[in-house]
Amino acid sequence: MSNPFEDIEDRDGIRLSWNVWPSSKAEANKFIVPIGALYTPLKEKPDLPTLMYDPITCKPPCRAILNPYCQIDVNAKMWICPFCLQRNQFPPQYREMTTNNLPAELLGVYTTIEYCLSRPASLPPVFLYVIDTCLEDEDLAALKESITQSLSLLPPQALVGLITFGTMTQVHELGNNECPKSVVFRGNKEYTSTQIQSFLGLSSSNIRQQSIPGKGMAPANSRFFMPVQQCEFTISNIIEQLQRDPWPVKPEHRPLRCTGAALAVASGLLEACFQNTGARIMLFSGGPATEGPGMVVGPELREPIRSHNDLVKESDKHYKKAVKFYNNLAKRAAEKGQVIDIFAGCLDQIGLQEMKSLVNDTGGYMILSDSFTTAIFKQSFIRILSKDSQGNLNMGFNAVLDVLTSKELKVCGLIGSAVSANKKNACVAETEIGIGNTCAWKFCGITNQTTVGVYFEISSQVNQQNANRGLIQFATSYQHSSGQYRLRVTTVSRNIVSPNSNEIISFFDQEAAAVLIARIAIFKADIDNGPDVMKWLDRILIRLCQKVASYMKDDPESFQLPNSFSIYPQFMFHLRRSQFLQVFNNSPDETAYYRHVIFGEDTNNSLIMIQPTLMSYSFSEPPTPVLLDSVSMKPDVILLLDTYFHILIWHGETIAAWRKEGYQDQPGYENFKNLLEAPKLDAQEILSERLLIPRYIDCDQGGSQARFLLSKLNPSQTHMTQGGYGVTAATAQTILTDDVSLQIFMTHLKKLTVSRSS
Amino acid sequence: QKNVTSVSLFDAPPNVQTIDNCPEPVIPAQFCMQSSEKKNPPYGYCCSTLNAVPQNNALLQKSKIPFGIVLSPYKNIGPDEPEVPVTSPEVIVRCEICRAYINPFITYVDQGTRWKCNICHVVNDLPAFYSWDSKTRQAVDRNTIPELNSSVVEFVATREYTRGPPQPVVIMFVIDVSFQSIQSGMVATAARTILSSLDNIPNYDNRTKIGFVTYDSTLHFYNLNANLTEPQMLVVSDLDDVFIPAPDDLLVNLSESRAIIEAFLNKLGNMHKTTQNVSSALPAALTAANKILGPIGGKIAVFQSNIPNCGKNSLKKREDPSLYNTPKESTLLQPADHWYKDFALDCSKKQICVDTFIFSGQYTDVATISTLPRFTGGSVYFYPGFDASRAEDATKFSSELNRFLSKKIGLEAVLRIRTSRGLTIKGTYGNFFLMATDLIQLPNVNPDNCYALEVNIDKDLTSEKYVCFQAAVLHTSNNGERRIRVVTNVIPVTNNLTEVFANADPRAIAVLTAKKAVEKTITDKLEDARNLIISTCVDIMGAYKQAFTSSGQASKLLIIDNLSLLPVLIQALLKNIAFRRGNIPSDIRSFALSVLLGSPIENSLAYIYSKLYAIHILDANTGLPIPNTSEVYMPPRINLSMQRMTQDGIYLLDNSQHIIIWLSRGSNPELVNALFQKPYEAIPSGKTTLPTPNNDYATRINNIIEFIRKSRLISYNNLPYVYVVKEEDNNRGWFISHMVEDKLDSELSYPQFLSHLREQVNINY
Ligand SMILES: [Zn+2]
Ligand SMILES: [Zn+2]
Repeated sequence: MSNPFEDIEDRDGIRLSWNVWPSSKAEANKFIVPIGALYTPLKEKPDLPTLMYDPITCKPPCRAILNPYCQIDVNAKMWICPFCLQRNQFPPQYREMTTNNLPAELLGVYTTIEYCLSRPASLPPVFLYVIDTCLEDEDLAALKESITQSLSLLPPQALVGLITFGTMTQVHELGNNECPKSVVFRGNKEYTSTQIQSFLGLSSSNIRQQSIPGKGMAPANSRFFMPVQQCEFTISNIIEQLQRDPWPVKPEHRPLRCTGAALAVASGLLEACFQNTGARIMLFSGGPATEGPGMVVGPELREPIRSHNDLVKESDKHYKKAVKFYNNLAKRAAEKGQVIDIFAGCLDQIGLQEMKSLVNDTGGYMILSDSFTTAIFKQSFIRILSKDSQGNLNMGFNAVLDVLTSKELKVCGLIGSAVSANKKNACVAETEIGIGNTCAWKFCGITNQTTVGVYFEISSQVNQQNANRGLIQFATSYQHSSGQYRLRVTTVSRNIVSPNSNEIISFFDQEAAAVLIARIAIFKADIDNGPDVMKWLDRILIRLCQKVASYMKDDPESFQLPNSFSIYPQFMFHLRRSQFLQVFNNSPDETAYYRHVIFGEDTNNSLIMIQPTLMSYSFSEPPTPVLLDSVSMKPDVILLLDTYFHILIWHGETIAAWRKEGYQDQPGYENFKNLLEAPKLDAQEILSERLLIPRYIDCDQGGSQARFLLSKLNPSQTHMTQGGYGVTAATAQTILTDDVSLQIFMTHLKKLTVSRSS
Repeated sequence: QKNVTSVSLFDAPPNVQTIDNCPEPVIPAQFCMQSSEKKNPPYGYCCSTLNAVPQNNALLQKSKIPFGIVLSPYKNIGPDEPEVPVTSPEVIVRCEICRAYINPFITYVDQGTRWKCNICHVVNDLPAFYSWDSKTRQAVDRNTIPELNSSVVEFVATREYTRGPPQPVVIMFVIDVSFQSIQSGMVATAARTILSSLDNIPNYDNRTKIGFVTYDSTLHFYNLNANLTEPQMLVVSDLDDVFIPAPDDLLVNLSESRAIIEAFLNKLGNMHKTTQNVSSALPAALTAANKILGPIGGKIAVFQSNIPNCGKNSLKKREDPSLYNTPKESTLLQPADHWYKDFALDCSKKQICVDTFIFSGQYTDVATISTLPRFTGGSVYFYPGFDASRAEDATKFSSELNRFLSKKIGLEAVLRIRTSRGLTIKGTYGNFFLMATDLIQLPNVNPDNCYALEVNIDKDLTSEKYVCFQAAVLHTSNNGERRIRVVTNVIPVTNNLTEVFANADPRAIAVLTAKKAVEKTITDKLEDARNLIISTCVDIMGAYKQAFTSSGQASKLLIIDNLSLLPVLIQALLKNIAFRRGNIPSDIRSFALSVLLGSPIENSLAYIYSKLYAIHILDANTGLPIPNTSEVYMPPRINLSMQRMTQDGIYLLDNSQHIIIWLSRGSNPELVNALFQKPYEAIPSGKTTLPTPNNDYATRINNIIEFIRKSRLISYNNLPYVYVVKEEDNNRGWFISHMVEDKLDSELSYPQFLSHLREQVNINY
């Protein structure tokens, strides 16, 4: 059974919560869940037509791009813009056009199309490595190895730079020197970017010189940035010689680590050398900043790093200052088109919670691992640098997404790893959802997986009785990693129907809606971190059910949801229990990480994060998806749990015992061997598809690692619902949790929905 | 008692040959009774303006002679001089009361079981080891004990004199690498010389540490960790807030890091070769070096090619020729910025000595920069307009740097001066920081340095036969031992003014006066310094006149014969480039001031009154080595007057800084050709290197020159340039400016000066 929404997603990279729209704002409000789109601007499409010319646009201020929804008059060489209804003349090169010979951008099948713009290509991408040297020897060795390896994965003309830091920050020169040379900055001081640039010997006159593409780089830049093919030897040498931070660490102290100062220097350096040319700052950090600006925790070990509790109580003395520092830095980096990636290799926290805006605002990667020796780090890092069949990195830079709506719609905002491009026009709604008050957003970094949530509302001013469809155009201009400037255009159209039409309900995409609502909830939670989000989630769920379910007042048993809403409450149940909203079992860094990841993923991956998948393997039947419920934990099965962040293989008691006995290695037990292998093979397949390598857990029933599984399962059998004689039911494992089960949740939902008073 | 023999100065020119006749060490009469000779220290260690001390202040005032001591307790030891005896008694015996060290001039009492202190007269017990050697079970022959016989001795300090481990030799090279430094070849020459001198740096027990900071508008540090394959350069640009970019490895063990230090020095010459940077952040570089050395102390060797024109406490070009010869000229000779003195005092506190090598052809503000060595016991080396492509420049710098690195120095030192009761020290002059009137802090005891003390007589010395000075330098020697160099000097007391005059030493008076005048110039005005110099002479002559001449002799100018050189030395001092009137660039004057303030007595005397030799007529021996010595038979000195020179003469002038060969137009062409291997017309004037001698005449002249150069290098770490000045040259004026007995511009000739003196004496006395 194919999901019709997934077909659209394959074509246009978009999924909408509502695929048929009501005709008035009042009506739309009753449906509670906003009209939203999960859009993957650069979604990989094998059949994507790429046009080698610049697009035709409507007159200002509309500037809509010519698309299949335009009415065209082949004879008059005119087209009518479906957004503003203005008539436009085709330019001379369209003179040969006939009804049977239309340019690709007008063909109905190409609602998504890509233009290679005629702008001259930019400089090759810039990679600025920012490496923490306050690491244990083993970690440092592993990191050095990964970084050296990464150099060979970069396109040969890519420009690289190197900063190392510990107590102080060192900017390494890569040009031909008599000996390795670096410029050193204090770690405990906040330098302005003017100071940074002057200390690096980068005067402003040099900046002008270099930004003319094709003219080569000014000598000042070439001190710090060189094409990797020219400096690989030098930089590998420096990395090889890299020692642990030499400054002494006092007993009972953390090493002094000036992450904030190092990032400021990195940003200042890039700002002086390159602007809007596609540059990544890749931070590899093995611990929290303990020195200088952006300090996350004091150097004394007796001072613990802040927890969620401290943040709620606002009791941490560094937090606000640090957040302010990193937010400012993020803002500046985003303005200058710098992408910031954070690779954490640390058992404890490194301050991602404080630094998250650096990544979120610039469209960078966040990779959280216990150590740089782990596969999670090593493989994820290498995958980030994977190339497509043309040998280009999967990295776009300096993207701007413009959203244009027909007059029936207005755009409320965007939730994703971007910043506002501060573009206001008639399309912009007053209602703000996420990053609002604009119809354009900037992504310093973007990949073919980057997915954003864009939210709309039905506009109120216009008389829409006559409208029968609404249009949205997404135009994403970006710098392709080949250096080309490109423009991806997706134009979608949806019907507008009169009130009370069943179509609205039946074209509801509950999966997309769940993810869009999740994004809003997480966005809200990120701001106030309080319990209000739960109340809000419950309220909108109840109100949605009241609108779409059929029931008789005060009769919960009569409650029935339409098919298109059938599993929506279940998603909400799992969302409420998810690590995105239940933060207290995690560190602030983990929370920041989880939230960052879901803000970048598409519908399917996001759903796995909200409601993990569980597969059961047994002798009796082929691998089957089973309920994410404790009833699925049986002694004679193997379970494969995928939470997106973790891949867990759980062996039931019996299976575990057999495995321990080593039956799988004995002749005549090939079936058992195969059974053991099957989930592993499936897990391998999942691992191979993910950019971020999930944590892999292999555990047995009753083992300590099994708690990861238990925490994700619906507690249908808890100690609250024991059997009558006080013994555990034999079929399901008791989950020791006070959480309500899905069944109880649904009972409450039904009761509240049908109740007269609500 | 000597008879007074007055000399009438107008009657005869000064007999300058006697300038070199420094008095032999005195054998004080009282101590001649004993079996061994107990001499005062040789002249070079210690000399007094008065070798008979007036019994009271009234008598001293009557003589008007400044009472002072010129002291070089740690002086360089020449090739023919004996080493200072080293002694390590079980206990270092000192007076219970005044803490003086036991010395040859104590007296034994109670059958030699106790000793009477020659400074405070307290009687102390004498330890048994000075009577009975328990190891050999024999009576001790006290005549063999160094500290009981030698007035210059070095004790190996016992434990109570050491605080923690002794300081190793530590040298931080702070090198200007701005455009000028690179262009002049200074950096390359310094790098090459340091490289070739590494084996000469004292490195006892492999404890020596060295490090490098280079600078232009930024500071460059070098990680020289022994485990690295190549040095790493760390750049710090934040000049307002200087910091050290690495905790270790910027100052490394010379032996352990030898390979990487050599690698670094091999690269240093080229490292900055493309620089266009004309900035020079000396204060920041010094601050950095101070931070690195702070915890252990050591030596900062600064190589500066430029005015420090960058960062905090940078200096401006304040040279202004319109101020020359005005009262405001003094401002140019005083430090422009107090920071340099404060910094130097901070260094002194941390046992850091600063030596400065200055290379600029432009104004560098030597007045301010020389503050650094002045308060830390360092030296100023000055190479104006240095150009390494000239062999003479490269050789001079390289030789002096090598000597600088290889010479013996004392570390973390204090100099304590004890005097007999009744005497107090009223002034001290030299390169150091004075902690108390009798206590001098010396991060390094620089053997090139010389100090002067001026002494008051506070109390009647009637009961004293002798007064005594004892200088004790507690220091760490290059072998890592704590040692105490003790120099003890006794001077008889007299109640007779004649004896006071008859035992006065004009050399010591001139040198003490020079050092006082330098101090005056730096703290007050140049004119005050000149007045000080001349009034010293006028007062002495006046006092002499009052005491010893009759009224009929007013037309004469009389002085006791042993002081007959005083007027000419005083006049020469007035005409020294440090003090004379005229358009003297302030850097040149400041350097001259630093030479006079710091240099030892022999060097100072030659600097005040140059040594002039006729070298066109040589005696049989002249220029030949004196057997069994490292010396050479020198020609007789002649007076500094053109009138003493002939039209066909060739002359050699040694002003302690330079050797000038004067070629008269009528010089004997054979001699000229023998010496230069080319005719007169073809000889370029200026700095020169004489061709390798291929004849007897040239060999002798070269011997003389090399002897002078070698002695200067040893005594004051200065390898004089050899200049040729031909009679018709533009720079003949420079040569002539040394002719202090002649009239020069507004400065008087010697006879005119005498008339002036007579006039002043007659007005005032
Ligand atoms: Zn339009
Ligand atoms: Zn005494």
